[in-house]
Amino acid sequence: MNIIVCIKQVISTDQVKIDPKTHSLIRTSEVSRLNSFDLPSLMIAKELKKAFSASVIALTMGPKISEEVLWEALAIVADRAILLSDPRFSAADTLATSYVLGMGIRRIGNFDLILCGMRTADSDTGHVGPQLAEELGIPHVTGVEKIERHGDYFRVERMSDGFREIIEVPKPALFAISSKMKVSFPSLIEIQDAFSQGQIETWGLEDLNADPQKVGITGSETFVEDLIPIAEKRSCVFIEGDPRQQARSLISKLMEKNLLS
Amino acid sequence: MNLSLSSKQKQIKKLAKEFAKMELSPIAKSIDDERRFPWEVVEKMAALNFFGMQAPREYGGAEIDSISYCLVIEEISRVCAAIGLMLAVHNGVVVYPLSKFGTHEQKLKFLTPLAKGEKIGAFCLTEPNAGSDALSIESTAIKNGDYYIVNANKIFVTNGGVADTLIIFTSVNPEDVKKGFSAIIVERGIPGFEVGLLEDNCGMRANPVCSILLTDCKVPTTNLLGNEGDGFKIAMTALDTGRIGIAAQAVGIAQGALDVSIKYAKERIQFGVPLIKHQAIQMILSDMATMVEAARLLTFRAAFLRDQGSELSYSSAMAKLFSARTASKVASLGLQIHGGYGYSKQYPIERFFRDARATEIYEGTNEIQQIVIARELLKKTED
Repeated sequence: MNIIVCIKQVISTDQVKIDPKTHSLIRTSEVSRLNSFDLPSLMIAKELKKAFSASVIALTMGPKISEEVLWEALAIVADRAILLSDPRFSAADTLATSYVLGMGIRRIGNFDLILCGMRTADSDTGHVGPQLAEELGIPHVTGVEKIERHGDYFRVERMSDGFREIIEVPKPALFAISSKMKVSFPSLIEIQDAFSQGQIETWGLEDLNADPQKVGITGSETFVEDLIPIAEKRSCVFIEGDPRQQARSLISKLMEKNLLS
Repeated sequence: MNLSLSSKQKQIKKLAKEFAKMELSPIAKSIDDERRFPWEVVEKMAALNFFGMQAPREYGGAEIDSISYCLVIEEISRVCAAIGLMLAVHNGVVVYPLSKFGTHEQKLKFLTPLAKGEKIGAFCLTEPNAGSDALSIESTAIKNGDYYIVNANKIFVTNGGVADTLIIFTSVNPEDVKKGFSAIIVERGIPGFEVGLLEDNCGMRANPVCSILLTDCKVPTTNLLGNEGDGFKIAMTALDTGRIGIAAQAVGIAQGALDVSIKYAKERIQFGVPLIKHQAIQMILSDMATMVEAARLLTFRAAFLRDQGSELSYSSAMAKLFSARTASKVASLGLQIHGGYGYSKQYPIERFFRDARATEIYEGTNEIQQIVIARELLKKTED
């Protein structure tokens, strides 16, 4: 079984700095990390690799510093890591990103399964998984918690509004993995092996035979008009009186804010 | 000269940082309060190879470089110095001398379970009448056929309460302690092995520091590390490298003290603005940060030299001396920023303050480091 895991390097949410001109996020190595919503996909890939001796490729699009998340993926599970990187890919919206990932996957060729996170911690759209499946013309399921392989189809479980849905999907397919999966750390030996045995392949626009009109800012159908940080303010309210009065006062305050009806 | 971490070192730092945040941060205060060894994290750290960081792969170790090793010890100690100490002693002065001086059989038997974290190690040098003056030990190991009969009263043994495999420094020649100074591997629980009371220490309280008493313990001669008379060399080699780990631990404590002081200075409002807006506080914080960076660089340099195979005593003694002093100074300044709250148990700075102080004493006091440095200085000026 061949698995491709799509991952992204994001910026720690408390350290976001925005380019005033392009309204895109400024990345530096110190504040960047693997999108936490991608970790569950890597964990599921690890389980599948163990169960079926699957081969796992980690794939990302981004500038050179995104290599760091590929090293992390190599330490956790991946046998191969590919960085799709080209200055023309920058400032892409989710559509242009999905196109580039799709072209990368076409170049990889043979695959049974693509795994993605549910969303990213820094832009939070949840688009890329489903868009990538559309780009490749394959079925997808989001919020997947469990994957079973049965011959030429997968049987997956997802939680939906208090129900557990069981869905059968023909191969190849894309699943966006639920963020509820338990995650674990790679060991020092796994990190050592990733660096001694692994390498990162970098593919640019020409390597992918991609249409320059469909990548980066040129290929984007949406443009972020503005990005304004919202300072969250918390204030503490002291409720006076005896316990009975305090309880009454608390209930009325919660009702005022529609937190209790 | 390249002062930036490699991608691999960054990954290792990140691993240790996230592990400390997720697993150690929630327990750091309570294990200190309760003076409790946290068994619940031992298996987790073992799975990450934290017990055999630099041991050879064939004996279950991860063989990481010394700077990576420092990064792990620093990140762990930044959150919980007592666990940092446990790892620094286990890896630095037990696993390392076994890797360097052990026979293949000894490595299979003792090193592998230690490196895999199935067993915990301790280094037993100090006695009631022998601390900095190591050659004053009174412990003896008298050869009797295939065994040594070992008698020893070892005190202030870090990890002592939980250690399974202990390196005991003793003398096989009571007439000439120096000539007979030897290192013998002893396993917990053999007849005559007794664990003393837990030390009621000021800091590092989650580490079960205690005394170890050996009374007529029968230890196979195959447990002798190196040859008879090699003990002093083994102890000093272990301590020279071990000091790098303790320096990294001190850097971690200093960084942790700086972290919580910055956090507090941002939250605490006095005279209408957060403390950090006051220039007096900014000056203290900038001094603290400068000292931490300097200590870290000295420690990294010692680690770098170790991997180069260079002579270590001078640089590791300097790293340990400066980092230990930095930890104490930075924790003290941090406590000052916290004011009255810093002196209470409500905030973690008091724990950093107590833990930091030990780094100036164990694995060679500041004064012993100064002697080591001075010796090397004299050699250099004679050239």
